[in-house]
Amino acid sequence: MTTRIGISLAIATLALVAALGAAEAAGPLDDPAFARVITCGACHGVNGNSKSDMQPIIAGLDVAYFKRQIENYATGKRLSPEMEPYAKQVQFLGVESVAGFFAAQKREPTPLRVAPESITRGRAASTPCMACHGPDGRADVTRLVPALAGQPPGYLAQQMVLFKIDTREPSESLLLAKKAIMRITPDSQFPDLAAYYSSLR
Amino acid sequence: MKGVTRRQFLRSSSVGLGLGLAGGLAGCAGMKGDFAPKSGRRVVVIGGGWGGATAARYIRMADPSIEVMLIEPNTEFVSCPFSNLVLSGLRTIESLTQPYDGLRRRGVKFIHESVTAIEPDTRRVRVGEGYLAYDRLVVSPGIDFQWEQIEGLPAVKDSVLHAWKAGPQTVELARQIQAMPDGGNFVLTVPPVAYRCPPGPYERICQVAWYLKANKPKSKVIVLDANQNIVSKTALFRAAWQAYPNIDYRASNKVTGIDTSTRQVRTDFDKVKYDVLNLIPPQRAGAIAVQADLVGADKRWCEVDHVTYESVKQKGIHVVGDATIGLPVPKSGNVANNMGKAAALSIVSLLNGQAVPIMPPGNTCYSWVSDREAIAVVNAYKIENGKVVQIEQKLTPAQSVSVAQRAEGWRQSIWADMLS
Repeated sequence: MTTRIGISLAIATLALVAALGAAEAAGPLDDPAFARVITCGACHGVNGNSKSDMQPIIAGLDVAYFKRQIENYATGKRLSPEMEPYAKQVQFLGVESVAGFFAAQKREPTPLRVAPESITRGRAASTPCMACHGPDGRADVTRLVPALAGQPPGYLAQQMVLFKIDTREPSESLLLAKKAIMRITPDSQFPDLAAYYSSLR
Repeated sequence: MKGVTRRQFLRSSSVGLGLGLAGGLAGCAGMKGDFAPKSGRRVVVIGGGWGGATAARYIRMADPSIEVMLIEPNTEFVSCPFSNLVLSGLRTIESLTQPYDGLRRRGVKFIHESVTAIEPDTRRVRVGEGYLAYDRLVVSPGIDFQWEQIEGLPAVKDSVLHAWKAGPQTVELARQIQAMPDGGNFVLTVPPVAYRCPPGPYERICQVAWYLKANKPKSKVIVLDANQNIVSKTALFRAAWQAYPNIDYRASNKVTGIDTSTRQVRTDFDKVKYDVLNLIPPQRAGAIAVQADLVGADKRWCEVDHVTYESVKQKGIHVVGDATIGLPVPKSGNVANNMGKAAALSIVSLLNGQAVPIMPPGNTCYSWVSDREAIAVVNAYKIENGKVVQIEQKLTPAQSVSVAQRAEGWRQSIWADMLS
């Protein structure tokens, strides 16, 4: 659906929806992207709001960051046996549309609770992270920095390990500083940092 | 999940009667004639497993003006995925059992009965002594067994355990394994493809071998596999089995007969004595699919359109899940969930006169190879010229705790995607 036909179909659909009037509540099918994300929910949760510890929340993710990760998974720069095939499926279905769908979803922070002592230790250890992730772990879309606040702690801790051992986008210049910080951070601190950022709202 | 013992069926039916009445629907005794007349557009779903529950949920999500009635004899959902962990004592069946409350909150109306017939020409399904009218029908019947393929099995089918539909048989098999004396032989037989959950038997072998290694070191797991090799995740299972010298794996050993009086199963070459037997018989689509002539010439599986899941044999009937054939996908819970969504959104589109979107499925499939490590296979698909085609298959490089943690996340997310 990358063609002009696709666009005119979308316009026709919009016109049809408008013609039906606003009395009918908009159903999810009014957004054609809804049918393109049906495989995602099995791991990432309803509308991308994962409730589990290891699968990241992708609701509300910045479009540019989302597209970059799909590209990285598909090319193997970001290694994941789960995500490599699905990234290629997203490319088949239209990455722009899928990225737009998740960017438009309201993000719900992880329901998982972590030990307060771990959060306190994590906050104390987070100073080096602030240069990019700010004081509150929010996204900085101008620099492709994703939001860490409210992500599940298991996912965050695992990504720190992957950055440290340099399997996530090896030799990418944007990530040099991050990896340098991870290398000097003891592994034992990762769960605390993860607990801290997952607790932020 | 749908093939229950007579006792369990009676029990769930009587519970179903109560819930049915509370929901405004007549119970079995009152199911005469058109016992729930259709006022607007209605979809009837047969089967509340991975495919049917998902289809019901997504129809209600996409268009709440469509009435959805789900017919399922069991009053609770029991997950087949993760049920091999009940055999090793790592999980309870209760932890795999979920209520249907989330679907009820979405307005899905339940009838806890069995469908006795489908009448495609008049668009009705028969339940009890009455019938229900539908505009479109989703059939998610799961699997049933071809008992007659194994000599002597039909007569003893209620006492020889398959434990291939999570529920009372899973619990009973776990009990028998625990009660087996140290030194006893656990015999597991693998049916020829196609069957539900290709890696399932091999995960089960890992789980039982793990349990026996720790608790009954003199016992063995003897595997009689009808197939020439491990059907799925072959190299990963071979690697995992290095840790279990108590596994005696015999490929190309198809079970042909059983004699419970001498506690022996027969293959073409051999007689094998068992202390505990888990015989997984050859399989076909759930009985209602055969009875309604949704199956092909082999009377086993249902061929469907790859986009809408509409039966190629009967208009207006969509078949999802393990009962289908012809797509290059495994018979897995994840695929059934994806098929349920695609069928649901196709039906909503068709009932609203809209174009049906293209919705290729995916398959994410984890297997537990010990008490804390798992492996996975992932398949993604596209649709080309109206047919599902695989884009890529990937396996985890090795077994790990991290994969097992992701398996837990998958379980949690996909249950919510079906039942919340």
